[in-house]
Amino acid sequence: MASATRRIPGIAWLLGALVIFFSVFGARFASMPNLINIGNQSAILLLLALPMTLIIMTEGLDLSMGAVLGLSGVVLALLLVDGHSLPLAFAGALGVGTLFGLANGILVVTMGMPPFVATLGMLGVAQGIALVMTDGDSISGIGSALPAIYATRWLGIPFAILAAVAAYAVFHFLLYYTRIGTYVFAIGGNREALVLAGVPANRYHVLIYAIGGLMAGGSAFLLTGRMSVGHPTAAIGMEFDAMVAVIVGGTRLERGDGWLPGTVLGVLTVGVLKNGLNVMAVPSSLQIASIGLLVIVALLIDSLRGRS
Amino acid sequence: MKVDLAPLIEMRGISKAFPGVRALEDVSLAVSAGEVHMLVGQNGAGKSTLIKVLCGAHHPDHGEFLIDGNAVRIHSVADARRLGIAVIFQEFSLVPFLNVAQNIFLGRELRDRRRMHSEAARILEMLGIQIDTHTLIDKLGVAQQQMIEIAKALSQNARILVMDEPTAALSEHEIARLFERIRKLQQDGIAIIYISHRMREVFEIGNRITVLRDGRVAASLIPSETSVNELVRLMVGREVDTTYGRHFCERPGEIVLETRALGSANGIREASIHVRKGEIVGLAGLVGAGRTELVRAIFGADRTTHGEVLLDGKPLKDDPANSVNCGVGLVPENRKTEGLALIRSVHDNLLVAGLPRVFPNRSYRFGKAVRIVAGLIERLRIATPTPLRLTRFLSGGNQQKVVIGKWLNAGSRFFIFDEPTRGIDVGSKAEIFSLLDNIVSQGAAVLMISSELPEIVAVCDRAYVMRDRTIAGELQRSDLTEENILRLAMHHG
Repeated sequence: MASATRRIPGIAWLLGALVIFFSVFGARFASMPNLINIGNQSAILLLLALPMTLIIMTEGLDLSMGAVLGLSGVVLALLLVDGHSLPLAFAGALGVGTLFGLANGILVVTMGMPPFVATLGMLGVAQGIALVMTDGDSISGIGSALPAIYATRWLGIPFAILAAVAAYAVFHFLLYYTRIGTYVFAIGGNREALVLAGVPANRYHVLIYAIGGLMAGGSAFLLTGRMSVGHPTAAIGMEFDAMVAVIVGGTRLERGDGWLPGTVLGVLTVGVLKNGLNVMAVPSSLQIASIGLLVIVALLIDSLRGRS
Repeated sequence: MKVDLAPLIEMRGISKAFPGVRALEDVSLAVSAGEVHMLVGQNGAGKSTLIKVLCGAHHPDHGEFLIDGNAVRIHSVADARRLGIAVIFQEFSLVPFLNVAQNIFLGRELRDRRRMHSEAARILEMLGIQIDTHTLIDKLGVAQQQMIEIAKALSQNARILVMDEPTAALSEHEIARLFERIRKLQQDGIAIIYISHRMREVFEIGNRITVLRDGRVAASLIPSETSVNELVRLMVGREVDTTYGRHFCERPGEIVLETRALGSANGIREASIHVRKGEIVGLAGLVGAGRTELVRAIFGADRTTHGEVLLDGKPLKDDPANSVNCGVGLVPENRKTEGLALIRSVHDNLLVAGLPRVFPNRSYRFGKAVRIVAGLIERLRIATPTPLRLTRFLSGGNQQKVVIGKWLNAGSRFFIFDEPTRGIDVGSKAEIFSLLDNIVSQGAAVLMISSELPEIVAVCDRAYVMRDRTIAGELQRSDLTEENILRLAMHHG
């Protein structure tokens, strides 16, 4: 195991403090329906934050995830409206997502473009296509199959949370128990070493971006299921929350220093903060500021602890 | 019978050119099973290139490889590996946030993790290292990382092992351990190519010595039939053909810059040097000896921890901006990234550092600026069609002149040149040196780092030689020869 276990990071304390604060001051925060709501909201974020962790570990980033998720949701909805089966529509969403992820990977790895520029470009492309396909409107009439699956529970646990747990298990296994995971650490930590070991590093590097696209496409299932409609701009800005969650969770932007369990903590912290501020009826503009502040506070705690 | 005599690995007539440089020319090298073949040479003699070619990272332009007397193709790192060639590189090829076992088996991961760890532990035990194989590389010190690097190479069951200065980061005790292990490897019939700057090692474990010089094999010798002096002579091996018309300083003036037992955060220890008015003082040493670090400490770019830096007898603060104001000009090795704003014009680059001096009341007057720039361009003979030409379009030599002009205009009296002739053609080189001569004859003082020993010998009035991040010795003009520099720069004891 590379580094699945570590000392408790600053983020855990911060999450605990937030939960206590909102439980005391937000009347409805600690209720079961609200906690389940937090879980549901965090599920989609986790689906994006997991591959984002891998991408950031390779000293990259993916700004297009939110837009690609939006486009995949539109594709999913349109296929359903056209009367195609749910598996086929879902496959379409996954395909679109993977295609964009591959494009990101090829631009960054093969063409050598800076990740910021390449994925910012793809953000625009995905966003634009989604708007063209929908004229900017919501797509309703997707039938009942998808919302029905989304509404299922197992032992009282909603489908979205189950999906998120399953996704985490897969990514944990991928990062800490497979070759791909080892190479994620190596691409960020010492790419030259990987190349000198005779590993086709470029191929793995592209694959990591493709996984990011795949997960953005897959998240469309939960997003569309929750909203019962497809909407081109529904996921705008989610890549920002995902990056915040990853960084707050203790993954560093260099040397392949990543920590997947931390990403879960980061996602929950973002989820708790957003929900808690909602419950306390804080205006949404201030909520955005608070997310920004979260990054700074979390990194500050870690750097202060690191110094002592 | 003949088969037994064939060397395990043979390189024949290897040539390799990079744009503008002949890195290797007709190099042949043969290593038998159980032989430790020492490879020595100056900086840039071609040692590293030869290894990169052998391990498949570079493709030679000409030449062939034979293993057990049979021609083989090495077109990739994977090819080399399959043929049993393993390299321990000088820069670590370790991944910080993977553990010891994962690093040792990087690219050759075993399905069974437990076996991967037990295999790794077995290799470490052979080397006499006690490190838990689950430890992250990030948690290990430099010496331990070096041992892991060695373990990684050994784990490949290599028949041909290349070591590029493996002892640079090791303590005496660890070196002894490593040599013990190397002798065992010899008994196992492994062929070892060992690059070293430490003369003691060359004679202690080498069976044969090949000296590279300027990309060619200068000699191949048996240790018992040669000496340190002969090796040094072979590594240098050429007569100095030019002094670039330098007017050597007969009576230097007062001390401009002095360091007293300087120690710095970047590892410099007990470095004492001084440079007088009118002098060009060389700073020589092998790669990694600490030359650039010393210069950064003087300039204030890295923190001073011991001793002091004096300019005109007054202490100099650890602040590059202050150093510039006091008259220190640094011409860095990477002029493209550190010395110049490439996307700005010659005009802008020449003026930027001197603005406070030229326009003390902060009002910029274009006419005066144009006159100053025109004067500098003429004085330095910068070849540019117009002062507004972007510096990125200039040749290396002219870019270097712009950097020098920038500091002249800033009123610098003490110049530090870090590898001033790197990437510059021969003609421009002579011009740069006559410029240096010109600067010092007008009362400035120059400290010049160079890896080109002939340049130091040809141009400098005096030279300091660095080793292990401190000053190993000082050479006066009369003793300033390549042999003497190399002798000081390398380890003897």
